Order: sequence, then C-alpha cells, then structure tokens
Amino acid sequence: MIQFILRRLLVTIPVLFGIVFITFVLARIIPGDPCRAVLGERATDEVCDAFIVRYGLDQPLPTQFVIYVGQLAQGDLGDSIKYSRPVTALLVERLPTTIELTLLALTFAILVGVPLGLISAVRRNSPADAGTMIFANIGVSMPVFVLGLLLAYIFAITLKDTPFALPPSGRLSSGVTVTPLAVVWGLEDLQGLPRAFLDFISGLYLFSALISGQWSAWADALRHLILPAIALGTIPLAIIARITRSSLLEVLGQDYVRTARAKGLRENAVILRHGARNALLPIVTVIGLQLGLLLSGAVLTETVFNLTGAGRTMFDAITGRDYVVIQGLTLVIAVIYVTVNLVVDVLYGVLDPRVRLQ
Amino acid sequence: MTTAPTTAPLVEAVDTARPASLWRDTLGSILRQRSAVIGLVILGILVFVAVFAPIIATHDPDRVLLGAEDGVKKRAAPCIHLLGCPADQPQHLFGTDGNFRDVFSRVVYGTRTSLPIGLAAVGFAIVVGTLIGAVAGYLAGSADNVLMRAMDVVLAFPSLLLAIAIVISLGTSYINALFAIAIVSVPIYARLVRSSVISAKENDYVTASRALGESGYGILTRRIMPNAITPIIVQGTLGIGTAVLEIAALAFIGAAPIGAPEWGSMIALERNQLFTAPHIILAPGIAITFTVLAFNLLGDGLRDALDPRLNR
Amino acid sequence: MSRAPMSWSPRLAVVLAILAIVVAACGGATTSPSTASEAPSSEAPSSAAPPASANPNFEGMAYPESGEAPCGTADYSGIMKKITAVDELTVEFQLCAPDPAFLPKVAFSVFGIWDSDYLAAHAPDKSYLTAPVGTGPYTVTEWTPGQRLVYAANPNYWDAANAAKTPGLEFHWSAEAAQRLIELQSGNVDGMDNPGADDIATIQGDSSLQFNVREPLNTFYLGFNVTKAPWTNEKIRQAIAMGIDRQRIVDNFYPEGSEVATHFTPCNVPFGCEGDPTWDFDLDAAKALLQEGMTEEGITSISTKLQFRDAVRGYLPDPPQIATEIQSQLRDNLGIEADLDLQESGTFLDNNAAGNLDGIFLLGWGADYPDPTNFLDYHFGAGSGKNFGEPFDDIAAALTTGATSLDDAARQAAYAEANNLIKQHVPAVIVAHGASGTAFKADVSGQHASPLSNEVFSVMQAADRDNLVWVQNAEPLSLYCGDETDGESLRACEQVNEALYSYEIGGTEAIPHLASECAPNDDATVWTCTLRSGVQFSDGAALDANDVVVSYAAQWDTQHPLHIGRSGAFDYWPGLWGGFLNPPAS
Repeated sequence: MIQFILRRLLVTIPVLFGIVFITFVLARIIPGDPCRAVLGERATDEVCDAFIVRYGLDQPLPTQFVIYVGQLAQGDLGDSIKYSRPVTALLVERLPTTIELTLLALTFAILVGVPLGLISAVRRNSPADAGTMIFANIGVSMPVFVLGLLLAYIFAITLKDTPFALPPSGRLSSGVTVTPLAVVWGLEDLQGLPRAFLDFISGLYLFSALISGQWSAWADALRHLILPAIALGTIPLAIIARITRSSLLEVLGQDYVRTARAKGLRENAVILRHGARNALLPIVTVIGLQLGLLLSGAVLTETVFNLTGAGRTMFDAITGRDYVVIQGLTLVIAVIYVTVNLVVDVLYGVLDPRVRLQ
Repeated sequence: MTTAPTTAPLVEAVDTARPASLWRDTLGSILRQRSAVIGLVILGILVFVAVFAPIIATHDPDRVLLGAEDGVKKRAAPCIHLLGCPADQPQHLFGTDGNFRDVFSRVVYGTRTSLPIGLAAVGFAIVVGTLIGAVAGYLAGSADNVLMRAMDVVLAFPSLLLAIAIVISLGTSYINALFAIAIVSVPIYARLVRSSVISAKENDYVTASRALGESGYGILTRRIMPNAITPIIVQGTLGIGTAVLEIAALAFIGAAPIGAPEWGSMIALERNQLFTAPHIILAPGIAITFTVLAFNLLGDGLRDALDPRLNR
Repeated sequence: MSRAPMSWSPRLAVVLAILAIVVAACGGATTSPSTASEAPSSEAPSSAAPPASANPNFEGMAYPESGEAPCGTADYSGIMKKITAVDELTVEFQLCAPDPAFLPKVAFSVFGIWDSDYLAAHAPDKSYLTAPVGTGPYTVTEWTPGQRLVYAANPNYWDAANAAKTPGLEFHWSAEAAQRLIELQSGNVDGMDNPGADDIATIQGDSSLQFNVREPLNTFYLGFNVTKAPWTNEKIRQAIAMGIDRQRIVDNFYPEGSEVATHFTPCNVPFGCEGDPTWDFDLDAAKALLQEGMTEEGITSISTKLQFRDAVRGYLPDPPQIATEIQSQLRDNLGIEADLDLQESGTFLDNNAAGNLDGIFLLGWGADYPDPTNFLDYHFGAGSGKNFGEPFDDIAAALTTGATSLDDAARQAAYAEANNLIKQHVPAVIVAHGASGTAFKADVSGQHASPLSNEVFSVMQAADRDNLVWVQNAEPLSLYCGDETDGESLRACEQVNEALYSYEIGGTEAIPHLASECAPNDDATVWTCTLRSGVQFSDGAALDANDVVVSYAAQWDTQHPLHIGRSGAFDYWPGLWGGFLNPPAS
C-alpha cells in the first residue's frame, strides 16, 4: 500500500513541474508590453527598467524560468500589481471562500446525487427513475450562470420576508463578523507563516466560526453560501446521480449479485451490501473529477453571487493582465487539484486492491 | 463524463464480413433507447434550424429595428398575434432585446455558432487525443509516460480557467475559443483511447496478427482502434454538450467576441435585465439547455446501446 | 482621460464662488470672496477662536523648506510655488499664476488632510493605504478585501451637530446593476449607486424604495485618433459627427434627465457652452461629406472598429447596447462597417493614452471641479497627450488663453473659439450628458445623490438600524486618495479624511470645511487659509498647519520621503496643479 502511494507521489512530480511550466508560458504569451500592461501607460522608462530587472524580464526565457522556479521554491509567488500586495496574501484572503463554496457544493451534490442515483437504479424504468434522470439531464445541461441568476431571483426577491428567504450575494450580513481565530485565541502577536496559516483557517468562516463557537455568525455564513452552493453543485449532482445509477445497474447485473439473490438474500441487503459497495468505486472517481468542474464553475458562481473568491480574482487578473496573480493562482489551484486527485487515487487503491497492482 | 474504459467486445464478436448487418444491429439497438431517440429528435430539430436559419428567422438577427418597424419597443415582451397579442403591435415570437433586435431570430441564428463550434472543438480534440492516446498505449514505456504526464498537466487545470487563459492569450475570437475548448478536452480522449488500446493489445487476435507479420501501423488501425471507437463516440457526444456549455460560459464571462447572435453573449449582455425582461435571458438559456440536453441524452443512449453489460 | 482614468465621479464646485473670486481678484477686494455659508454649526469649533490659543512654541514648516518652486522653468510646469505654515492655524499657498479655481480644487477629497506624524509613521510601510486616520465623521474598523469595508462613527468628531447619524457604515460593491438592485430589494443593503436605466421605473414604483437623480455633469463622446487613417481626414470626422442621430441615442438608451450634448463641456459649467453648438444630425450632408472625404483619401468604403470598455459610468450607462446602437447607425446612416471591440478597462485606457486605438472609441469624462479647464484641457490642451493622436495647436492655444485669463470676457471669447475649433476639427463626436442616480430604502432620512458622486453618509439615518449599508460599483483600491483617481475609492476616503473646503451636500458649491476660510490676495496668487481650532484626528492628534503642509507636499514633490502611495502615480496632482516638483524624467 505504501509502495502504491509512493509510486503515485512520484508520478505527481513531473506533473507539478509541467504545471509550473504551463503557468509560466501562459503568463508570458499574454499579449502586450508586460511593464506597461501591468504598471500602466504612465510608467516612466525608469520605472519600467526597474520593473524589468525586478522580474528578470531582461534575461533570456530559460533563465527567467529558472528564476521563477527559484522564487517558487522560496514560497514567493510575487506581488500583485493591481493590489500592490503579495499574491500569497491574496490567497490567504480569497482562497478560503472558494474552498468553502466548493466543498459545500460537493457535499450537496453527493448527499442528494448518490441517493437519487440509487433510487433510480433500484426502481429502474419507474416514474421515479424517469423523473430523476430527466432532472439529472436538465441539471447537467443548464448553464451555472442561468441557474444562479434564477435562484437569486427566487430566494432573494420572490421569497423575501418568508422563512425561506436567502441572501443573494456576499459572505456575511452587515453587522455580522467572524472574529479571526488569532483574536479569539489571543495570538495577535503571531507573525509570518503561522499567522498566515491561522488567518487562512479563519477565512474558512464555516469552520472557524464553528470551532470558536460563534454560532450566529456561523449560521449567517452558511445562509450566504447556500444559493451559490446549490447553483454550483447542480451539475456535479446530476453527474453523480447518473454515474451512481449506471454503476449500480452494472454491478447488479453481475454474477455474484445474482448468486446473492439466489441465496435468498433480501433485496435491500443485496443492493446495499453487494451492490452499492462495489458501485462506490466509479462514484469516488467521478467525485474526484468533479473538483475541476467545481473550480471552473466557481469562477461563474462567484461572479453571479458577488463572492470574492479565488475564481473571481483569477478572472479579474486575467482580464486585467495582472500576470503575477495569474501565475500564482493558476499554480495553486492546479496543485490543489492534483493533490485531491492523488488522494482520490489512493482512496481508490484502498477500495479496490486490484488498482494497486496495476 | 466517465473515463472508465469500455472494452466493447461487441465489435470483435461480429462477423466483419457483414458490415451492413452490424450497422443495422447497432442502429436498431440505439433506436431502442428512448433517451437516444429523444436526443436525436432534438438534435435533428437543431440542425434543421441551423441549416434553414435564414428561412426560419423572422428578422435579420443583427438588424436594429428602431426606426425600421412601427411600434417596436425596447426589450418588448414576446408578442404573438395568434395568441391574442394586439395586431397593432409588431409580432416578435420571443420579444425584442435591448437594441430593438428580434430575440427569436437571434436564438435561431445562435444554432449556427454553438453547434459548429461545439462539433469542431470536439472533432479536433478527438483527432489529437486519439493520436496521442494510440501512440502512448501502443508504444508504452517512456513515450507513454511522457505523453500521459503531459495530459495530466492539462487535466490539472480546471478546464474553464485554462480555456479563459488560452482565449485571453490568443485574443478573443470564436476560433480561439474553439481551440481553447479543444485543447482542454484532448486529455479525456487521449486517456480513453490509451486504455482501450492497452486492453485490446493483449488480445489473442492481436497477437495472432502480429505473428502473421502485420505491420504495427496495420495492427493499430485495423485490429486495435476499432475497440476504441465506441467509447470515443459516446464520450464525444457528451463532449459536444460540454463544449456548448463552455462556449456559453466563455461568452458570458466576456472571453468571446460580443455582438454576434451567440447564446452565451446574449445572456451576458442582458444579464442585468433578468428581472425586468426575463425573456431575453430565458430564450437563449433554454436554447443552451436543450442543445446540451440533446447531446447528453444521445450520449447516454449510445452508451446504453453499445455497452451490453448494462442490459440486464 | 490620461490623468484620471476613472474620474466619472464628477467633482465640481459652485459658479458663484468662482465668479466671486474673480470679481474679488479683479476688484482688489481684500475681504473673503466666498459667499458660501459659514461654519456648518454654531457648536463647531470656530475660526474665531482667539489666536492667543495658538501654541507659541509652534514651529511652522514651509515647503520647499528654503526658496520656492522654480515657476515657469523647463523643470517645473506646476502652478504651486510654496506652501507655508504661518502659525499653528494658518497656511499660506503661494501660486506661480492666478488660479480662478483654487477653492473648488482644495475642496477635492484627493487633497484630504492627514496627520503628519501618522503619515511619517505609516506611509513607508504602506499600512496607511488600508488604515487611514482622518478628521472625518467615520473611522475604518474593518476592511476585508473583496468583501466589505466597515466604518464606525468617530466619537470625537469636531462638528458635533454633523456627527454621523447612523453609528455604523458599510461599503459593499458589485459591478452588476442587477445584483446591486437585488441587494437593495432583498433588504440586505440600505442604498445603492447607479441603478440600471431600465430599473429606475421599478424603483420608483416600489413604495419601500426611493430614487434620487444625479444631475449630469459629464460628457460621452466618440473619439478618433487623428493620426490614423482614415481619421486623418477632417471631412470624414465631420461626416460622422453629422451622421449620428444623437437624440435617438439619448431617448432610447439614457435615463431620464440626460441630455444631448451641444458642447464638450456641460452647460451648467461656467463658460461651458460658449461658441456654436456642435453639428446637427443631417444625413444628406453627412453622406455627401463622407463621399468627399473618402474620395480625397482614395478609398471607397470604411470598415473599422468600435472600441470600448464594459464599464458602466454616468456618461455611458449601458456600454454594449450603446455601442451596438452606434454600430447600427454607422452602418445604416453612413454605410460604415464597424466591429465591436470590447477591451478590458485598464487595457483600453492604456491603449487610449498611448494613442493605440485605431478605431472609433467610446469614452467619456466626469467633472472634477466646475471649470472648462477640467473638461477641455485634459483632452485637447497643449499637454493632453496622445488620446486623440496629437493635440490641435489652435485648440490648445485657445485653451491656454482661457485657463490663464481672469477676465470674464476674455475667457468667454477663448472658450467660444476653442469650442468652435473643436466643432470644426472633430477630434471627438460629442454625444450626450448622462444622468444617473442613487436608490435607497424609503426609511433612510437625509438620502441624496450628489452631482459629484460624493455622497455624504454621515447625514443619513437608516431608521433605527445600527448600520447603513451602501453598495457601489467597485471596491476602493486604497484609502489614501492622494494616489487614487476613481470615484469608488474617493467616496470611501471622504468618509474618513476631510479637505480644507468641501462641496455642499448634494450640490457643487465649495464651502469652508477644515479651513474656516481661504482668502486670496489682490491678484489671487496667494491664498491664506485659516484652520478651525480644536479639530482632532481620530487618533487624538490635533490638526495644525503643518499637517496641511505635509499632506500637500507629500503629493507635490516626487522626492518627498512620503511620496509613496499605492502605485506612486499621484495622477490628480499634476492634473489639477499643473505638475510635480522634481518631476520624474520622461
């Protein structure tokens, strides 16, 4: 097992290197004079010379790449031009929103999608199956931004002043604050990396409010994330429901299930013990794959619901030619994605011993 | 969106001397799938609309009707005379947009953007992906390693983000959007083909061909590749749906040219009017949903039809 | 718009004040020229405080410390000569040349006064960008970047009668009008900026909401780079000016209260509408002229681009729609094919400033202060840069005359000439002055929309709620506004940092604020400002004349140790005062 994990880790290294390379190239091929594109027309030649030296742009490209990798090795992602702040600081601020949104959406997709798929498979060709599959098909086919706009309208305007009303934007209501953990725990003197890490955790409002017992703030933060999470989670939900259905059907068609039935096991037991468990494999794989989709969808969802997460920041950076941010965020998002898939792969290996031997 | 390899024993089991029957059988089993039939019907309608757009559209999609048509209103609600809309108001099946243009005609012409780009992007991705996957799977070893790690790198980026970055780098045009969408989906096909090739490679009949002295190229194209066709068709069909969604998303977020009658950019331009004139957003929104739905249903149906393991 | 890329936020001051200054200057009056109201409140610390209270140990600073700025030399194009703290509460501004617009300029929030010690301590590490300390009615308590900016009332505000009516203030932002409206309708915010043109009727029809019109003090134009073919041909430019039905654009795409523009400067700016109104819509003449022009150029058709950015501004409420309309008019009226070329906002402005836009570009301008110099000199003056290719010498000469004359008749004549030349040369087709507005919940008292976009939140009371939540178009870039140009940042700064003068609430008149008076000498080249006594910064420091000197000097001199800012560009300083001391080598 450990050997399997090590092997997977080893495979990841060239991938990470490739990601670094691609982010480097992407940022370099964005058209325009990098200095004036970034610092604006008013930048003097003096300023531009300093800029060019600072970013090593006077060096040949291979040298630049080495410098870039060197900076990365020191944990330096550079300074955002638009915000005049380190990209790492932007990450500490903005990534938590995206992580929370993504996880909540995924949770929603799994909690609703898997049962729907199971029901659909067990009652194949029943009205419930047809209904679920119609829903699933429309779900995967509807653009996130259309669904988001509709949800915002229904829950914020139509249901206003009812108990079902939900806020259409932002992360917290006015007047509500999630006190940072550094303050709660009296660690305000903390500096550097530990402090950044603590602030990052504090940015995960649902988590930090929970562990520090800020209940009303927690509830408020949750209410703000419900609509975005539903909008974002619907496509994965539909995909998970479909995969669950088809993989369960596949498993139920296999000999050992027939044997189990022949042994006289009750249908529920057959489905749960023999069917669902083995159908889990493709479901886990698909859930891992959904993460990329979720991170993509986060760009749109954050736009529609006015959440300033990594996706939205990334988009702003691309359109604003803030290429230091483009490099930094792409890299971090890609690394997260690779890491999650690594975990999924390992999980896969745990669930299915055959995989380990491949 | 499954990457689980389908080994598809169907093709090899059938006597290749009677291809007509094979196709008839396949077609028959497809037509037995309700979802495939529904998907085909919707798709047929869409293709029909795209081909005959100039005849179906009631107006020039780019024509600003202000000053050209009596009584035309900005962002007018749908007006259909047969359904009781007063005769003194100009007829617009889906109403008009913020520039006094006919929404129905724009949605109709939108099929001419989304369908070809979706098809072309997936076609491109399939060709490149198949090439990479086949080479990697057949040669194995270090070539396989390098190619598949490269694919992993592309897959490591959330596809829409990578597509946005590519479009911005190359410049916003539909051709570049096409390439961006194609590039981000190449790895899916490469992986698919590779796994089909690997599993087919060890089959007895392949070993037999090799023993009979058939060239590597011949073995790959004639003995192995047919096994990969089924999953590619299924995945490609689903992929077109995804591509249509991605085009719309790129346009929505402004990473595509504006002005052309394209569904995503129609929504983007009028997104502030969702509450005052929802028809302008709903019409292209529904068009996108139906198009994607058609490809998804067809893809599902094809999988069910071509993969007998699902038939209890 | 090279200087103030995002100055859609109009900043303007009153006609009367300027006239009074001019009159005073010409008539040699030594009394205060300001007809503006006196101290906002009788309880406010008054300038009448006896000078005896002044600290005898006060050491007044001067800038430059010795000598003065080298007026009129090649190294210095500015008009500020020397700033001196005469005593604890008196600051003297010496100018190189008379400035008829001095008061409206010092009222501009870019020139907010900071505590000199705080600047010295917090500028070098840039922490002042997010943690400002000022004399204003609010203090910043939290800025969660990307999410919200939170203020609390300043308990020690110097003008007790005008202290914040609502204890808390929160800024949110969203680029989408529909999203801002949803926030307002769903009750999450109390007020919003710039409702969409089509949403105004919805707001007016909702008894729980209220709409306030923001009068148009801006101009939307179609620009040409006159060095790029075919725009090098004046006849072609004139033909386009005649071939666009501007009334149709205003009627169908602008909110109520907007106007078709007759001159580049809105008519409510003094000397704004001298000279002939621009070309009327005349299709036949336009077609004939276009044909002539094309023949001269040896071309038979024009296909070009309409270049614009998707940034909603008062002058351009619906960019893609208006661009599409103009595209359609160009095609239908003149047979000119133009592709829509939407660019990212910053890229677009950079391209404009660099003279890289080769198509017809859609841009506009919002007033900073009420003088033609603010509108015309930026665009067509001698130093106006490459926005329109290159400046027209005759226009620039007329503008120089207008900007340096104190005599009404001379200014009138100069601006009449300038406007007629602008009409003739058509560097830009002048289209519209766009109205906009704010919307609030109906129970917010004191709500208003300012023509300068400088809404004052301290006078608003959100019923019995503890927080007044405001949603605007974008997040502030920083809270040190000496180095900011966009209205979203300036509005955020204004709640914290105050200037010597201010604009009247909801209006444009410059009235005394931190200074109880700024009085000119005979020829308006020396202005003496008297500060109110007893004004404290929110960190407890007392306001004195040295704070004023340092706050100005930090912007003025590029070599000043506190000349730091966010980007270091300090765009408004050279824009309003002519140039930096020790300007960066170009």
